[in-house]
Amino acid sequence: MTLQTVFSNGERCHLAIDGEVTIYSVAALKAGLDALAPSLAEIEIDLSGVSEIDTAGLQLMLMAKRIEGRSVRFVNHSEVVLQLLEISNLAGAIGDPLILSAGGAK
Amino acid sequence: MNLDDAFGTFIDEAGELLAQMEELLLAAEDGDVGEDAQQALFRCAHTIKGSAGLFGLDEVVRFTHTVEGVLDRLRNGEVLFSSDLAALLLECKDHIAALIATARDGEAERTGKGEALQQRLQTYLAPSSVPVAGDEPERLERVSEPKPIGRAGGAFGPEHWHISLRFSPDLLKHGMDPMSFVRYLAHYGEIVHVATLPDALPGWADYDSEVCHLGFEVDLKSVATKEEIESVFDFVRDDAQIRILPPHSKVEEFLALIAALPEDKARLGEILVAGGSLTERELASALAVRHREGEQTASVQRPLGEILVDASLVPQALVNAALEKQKRSEEKHALEARSIKIPADRLDHLINLVGEMVIAGASSQLLAQRAGDPELIESAGNLLRRVEDIRDTALRLRMVPIGEVFSRFPRIVRDVARDLGKEIELRISGADAELDKSMVERIGDPLMHMVRNAIDHGIEQPQVRTARGKPALGTVNLNAYHESGSIVIEVVDDGGGLDSERIFAKAVERGLVSPGQNLTQQEIFSLVFAPGFSTADQVTNLSGRGVGMDVVKRNIEALRGSVELDSEPGRGTKMRICLPLTLAIIDGFEVQIGHAHFILPLDAVVECIDLPLVASGGFLNLRGEVLPVIRLAELFEIPSLQTGHESVIVVRFGGRKAGIVIDCLLGECQTVIKPLGQLFERIPVISGSTILGSGEVALILDVLQLIEAAANRESKAVGVIPTA
Repeated sequence: MTLQTVFSNGERCHLAIDGEVTIYSVAALKAGLDALAPSLAEIEIDLSGVSEIDTAGLQLMLMAKRIEGRSVRFVNHSEVVLQLLEISNLAGAIGDPLILSAGGAK
Repeated sequence: MNLDDAFGTFIDEAGELLAQMEELLLAAEDGDVGEDAQQALFRCAHTIKGSAGLFGLDEVVRFTHTVEGVLDRLRNGEVLFSSDLAALLLECKDHIAALIATARDGEAERTGKGEALQQRLQTYLAPSSVPVAGDEPERLERVSEPKPIGRAGGAFGPEHWHISLRFSPDLLKHGMDPMSFVRYLAHYGEIVHVATLPDALPGWADYDSEVCHLGFEVDLKSVATKEEIESVFDFVRDDAQIRILPPHSKVEEFLALIAALPEDKARLGEILVAGGSLTERELASALAVRHREGEQTASVQRPLGEILVDASLVPQALVNAALEKQKRSEEKHALEARSIKIPADRLDHLINLVGEMVIAGASSQLLAQRAGDPELIESAGNLLRRVEDIRDTALRLRMVPIGEVFSRFPRIVRDVARDLGKEIELRISGADAELDKSMVERIGDPLMHMVRNAIDHGIEQPQVRTARGKPALGTVNLNAYHESGSIVIEVVDDGGGLDSERIFAKAVERGLVSPGQNLTQQEIFSLVFAPGFSTADQVTNLSGRGVGMDVVKRNIEALRGSVELDSEPGRGTKMRICLPLTLAIIDGFEVQIGHAHFILPLDAVVECIDLPLVASGGFLNLRGEVLPVIRLAELFEIPSLQTGHESVIVVRFGGRKAGIVIDCLLGECQTVIKPLGQLFERIPVISGSTILGSGEVALILDVLQLIEAAANRESKAVGVIPTA
């Protein structure tokens, strides 16, 4: 798993997660989010590289939305993420626009 | 819970379930299969599939799913039970076992045989329900489709389950993903609605990313039983709150669920409505009733069960039944907690230590007696008694029922009988007789050979049996029982018996005996155990493997046991194995001849009598019973002490008795058996050695061989005792 800063201008940043977002990596991801400069108020996280996600990852997504003083958005959800949001019925709770492929979440 | 441990548990459980399936199938093959057995079969397959799914054994899940499908149709009466189906299911059971074994050994899963079996299973499955291979994604897709459910009016669909899941916070750390359970439910039907409850999530600062805070409310449309759905959560139930509301649950039960859950009541109500478990109107009116009820019983909170019974919502009998069930499952848990699994090598180590302790204890008691200090003697005596208790307890730890060995025979008998076109019933008795675990492991093969022999050579073809006026169905009895410190295992068949003339002729042909030799019936039978002996006219695929009864005999003797054979022409054959209960420590009886010490196993000692010094006659008249007598001093050529009188120990082994003349009785002692060196291994009457408390070495006598030597009057001098 890698958490990469794709772009940052001091207030906004784009991050990209590659690899698995599971119990094995959530602690590192949380630490990565904590380590961001406090001035960054808007964070966009690209999930297109997420290869695997479990409940711990889902929980991290929910938590990230609740970070005080920050707005976190998830974009480019990968298939596995879409699938998990679909089955857990949390798309609404997380509230980011999803792009559904024509085939639906398979 | 460690996942590796859990996997071990899974392997064990699967083994037990497969054994149960086999037993049921074998029973079913004989006659009609009862409803209980059908249900049990289905449950076995189902549980294996369920737990295999948890460990990601896809191949097992895939294959077992098909088997389960057939079993499901069977229990629903859509498929009729036939012996063909039973045979097929047995093969499937073997295949599942093989799949699990490969998974356990970490090898790649094979598919070849499974495909063939699946093909054959398909004929028992309705064309519409052609299942499995990769239907999982399809199901998930179905889940994602918004399904119209009868929310208006009849919200309680006949197959509508509501499952409320609050997992242990540590579940994730244990390597299990709560969502995988939710997904897994899709195997049981169709997931109608899932609500993930983030209510328990803490603030970001307090957030431990590895703790599971989420709860789930799942609505499932399934025809599965409550037990089956519960079984999904078998591995996590202990520290999770899992509530399953079956179809047609009362509105009150949902209210109770809402009340029991920590989340916001109104939101839970909405979830239930959204999932189709309740309608809006039902929820509203029920809440109102509940509210009124609450006002009436303002101060006293009555248990819900009572409310339900009062309101005639649930008959008292049902509540009682539920309570009873709860109690039973608690008892079962308690029973499970009462036994633990220990690696055998630790136990062996403990027993070795105990053995050394016994010797050390005996030695200190001896020293105390020499010192003559009464207090020291008493304390040493106390210590030795405790040590003996510990020894007995330690040895008992290793005792397992012989049933462990017997349990694989029904299948073998069935398969072998089928191969040979014979009809055979196996009767097992005494399966709970216990013996040492190491013996159980090593007796399996010889016993198997004897059972195969009984089937192959003993029991006749059905036509022959009918012609001889016997029932076409042959029987093989496997009995086990304890007898004077040994365990006796009998393999009895009601077949043709041994033909002593043919055995004799064969033995002559093989040069084992000379044609003129005059042998008793018993001696002729024992020729069967001679190396390279086989009387079978035809070489079947069972015999003719180069493993004869001589190997059986050797294996049993290696366990310090004996094997005998008795037969009646036309009536059957009885093979009798006699084994010591353990290989490690025995209660011994110490005797002295000249200056040498010997140990007799105490279990074999019947009585001790003084023998007035008379002529060296070979027999003793014991209260009218004639016993052969052997003088150990003569046998071992040890100069006797000439004390003026001799003592006789009467020993018994396997129903035969003999008197053993010795110089001096020294009494009971703890005997830790040490193997003999290579030099002495072949001396027939000595089975081992031990170290006495004084540090001296004593030889342990083999009672059976002594009795044979005593009975054999022709040979008194040592070395002439026949070994065969």
